[in-house]
Amino acid sequence: MRLFTRVSVAVLAGLSLAGSAAAQTSGTINAKALVRQPITITNGQDLDFGIVIQGTAKSISETAAAAGRFDATGTASANVNVNFTLPANLTSGVNNLPIGTWTGCYNQSAALNTSGCTTIASMAGTTATAFGNVAGAGRLWVFVGATVTPAAAQAVGTYTNTVTLTLTYF
Amino acid sequence: MRRPLILALVALAIETTPCSAQLVVQGVRDLDFGTVIQGVAATVIANDPTRSGQFYFKTPALGTRIRIQFTLPTQLNGPTGATMPITFGASDAMAKGTAPASVPVAFNPNTTATFTMTSSVDANVWLGGRVTPAAAQRVGSYSNTVVMTVTIF
Repeated sequence: MRLFTRVSVAVLAGLSLAGSAAAQTSGTINAKALVRQPITITNGQDLDFGIVIQGTAKSISETAAAAGRFDATGTASANVNVNFTLPANLTSGVNNLPIGTWTGCYNQSAALNTSGCTTIASMAGTTATAFGNVAGAGRLWVFVGATVTPAAAQAVGTYTNTVTLTLTYF
Repeated sequence: MRRPLILALVALAIETTPCSAQLVVQGVRDLDFGTVIQGVAATVIANDPTRSGQFYFKTPALGTRIRIQFTLPTQLNGPTGATMPITFGASDAMAKGTAPASVPVAFNPNTTATFTMTSSVDANVWLGGRVTPAAAQRVGSYSNTVVMTVTIF
């Protein structure tokens, strides 16, 4: 009978410990973040059609010297989406000058559109690329071209509008 | 002399089996701040459908009283020893039972919260937070562990 008593006590102690462990349980997740440098975009050069003659369309290629250029900095080698907000007209007061047939390219290593510039397939859509790594700095140069189509009776004057480039990390 | 010993061991086996299935706690989704810009604090709210952290727990029965306690980091760990502060606000945790009638309850993840399971035996808990990268925060991936402990009392 003495042996029975000792065994029973041991078993009860084991039950108590097991019950305590089961009444408290933990789960784990991670908290995570990806730190990037701020993106800066500056106007490297306006898209400049120069003098345009009434009734004569004029195109500036993205690879031309007069192409528009954006100069961007960010985290080297980080992925970014490229999007444009493109006007349908240049304006001069109340007068509109249609602009369209947008083209573009980007360069990850130099401010050059004559070589090493990758064509942007769809100026209306999103283009996925990445900042280049230029001596440890994230750099991206984006060039744009377009065509203006003045009417035969287009009002003379200076026409302008804004082209916006948006870069978003992904 | 041997019969009592055998009976006692059988009793142990029967009693411990249900205990292991009584309380379940699982991590479901990471608290993901995504891309964070140097010098710009970023917040994820508890009811963010994709970025908030998520846990799931299941209790043995309706009426179970539980305590929820988090082990929260004060910093995320990044590349080459870099760290980034992370904080949790007074309403950054939210619990909701899985029953259709359950309503979400916001609570403070920095303190122990107590609940009684009235409408369902299981629930989800979501967690938000805030990271504050320095202007010169080292770029790269940062992470740390969040633990949620549920205790029946």
